[in-house]
Amino acid sequence: MSADHTVNSVLPDEPEKATLEGKNKVLGFWLFLGGETILFGTLFATFIALRNQTNGGPTGHELFELPLTAAATVILLVSSMTSVMSVLAMHQHNLKKMQVWLTITAILGIAFLALEIYEFSHYVAEGHKMSSSAFGSAFYTLVGFHGGHVLFGVLWLITLQLQAIKKGLTVVTAPKFYVFSLYWHFVDLVWVFIFTVVYLMSIVGGKVG
Amino acid sequence: MSAHVSNESTHRTPKVKKSGAKAHLVTFIVSIVLTALAFIAVGYEVIPIGFTVPFIILLAIVQAAFQLFVWMHLDQKGHEFPRIGILMGVVVVAATVFTFVYWLW
Repeated sequence: MSADHTVNSVLPDEPEKATLEGKNKVLGFWLFLGGETILFGTLFATFIALRNQTNGGPTGHELFELPLTAAATVILLVSSMTSVMSVLAMHQHNLKKMQVWLTITAILGIAFLALEIYEFSHYVAEGHKMSSSAFGSAFYTLVGFHGGHVLFGVLWLITLQLQAIKKGLTVVTAPKFYVFSLYWHFVDLVWVFIFTVVYLMSIVGGKVG
Repeated sequence: MSAHVSNESTHRTPKVKKSGAKAHLVTFIVSIVLTALAFIAVGYEVIPIGFTVPFIILLAIVQAAFQLFVWMHLDQKGHEFPRIGILMGVVVVAATVFTFVYWLW
């Protein structure tokens, strides 16, 4: 498969769907995302069930701050946008432009991680730890698992970019960028529910109670 | 011999759907607006406090649908199986969340 893509060196429109292998990769990745949906869904359900079991420690209302959450949200949302732009650049067969957008995506991903590390260390200093309460365990498992996905995404993206420098844009490499873009959108989508369910609902919950 | 894009002898201009970029930008603006609405609803208490949680959850679902269908191209042809796959995931998640919220405690 990988040998004959170089024979016809004219890149087709939407190169990610030009081969059966590419199509299968996209379909397989969607099935993976279906499984990821369930994985994060169960973590969300656990968090919702346990979020008030603070064991005498600080509550979400006391810990969470709107500006920090807003900053993380904007960073991730913009990075999702830049990964869309990279796919548009790929459809224009513009490798250089695609790499620029992907580099911005990677930088925003790293910025998000830095903010999350700062946030977690701040919480630990206030006595909100993985082992301090059921709320702590549920919080760090859910939000940390999402952060782990961002970290994996950044590492994956960097290796893909290095490969693109070496191999360029072909019908073999194009599906990889498309699939990465799907993954990155999914991570942003999960964050939409994290800022709603974890942060905003905790802040509202404190006001009611 | 390489399939590199910048290979000038083989370069041609690809057909790109013009509507594509616009829809993506609209989705970005919609996402920003929905996110801002959720933060404002919580930060400034502009709507009755009992309605805030259902309201922000509704905003999140709308934003998720926009991103799934436009940014992740679920609206395009040939995405029947992905649509079924994600729908299955959503059904299981809804059942799990419902169970945990109403039966666990």
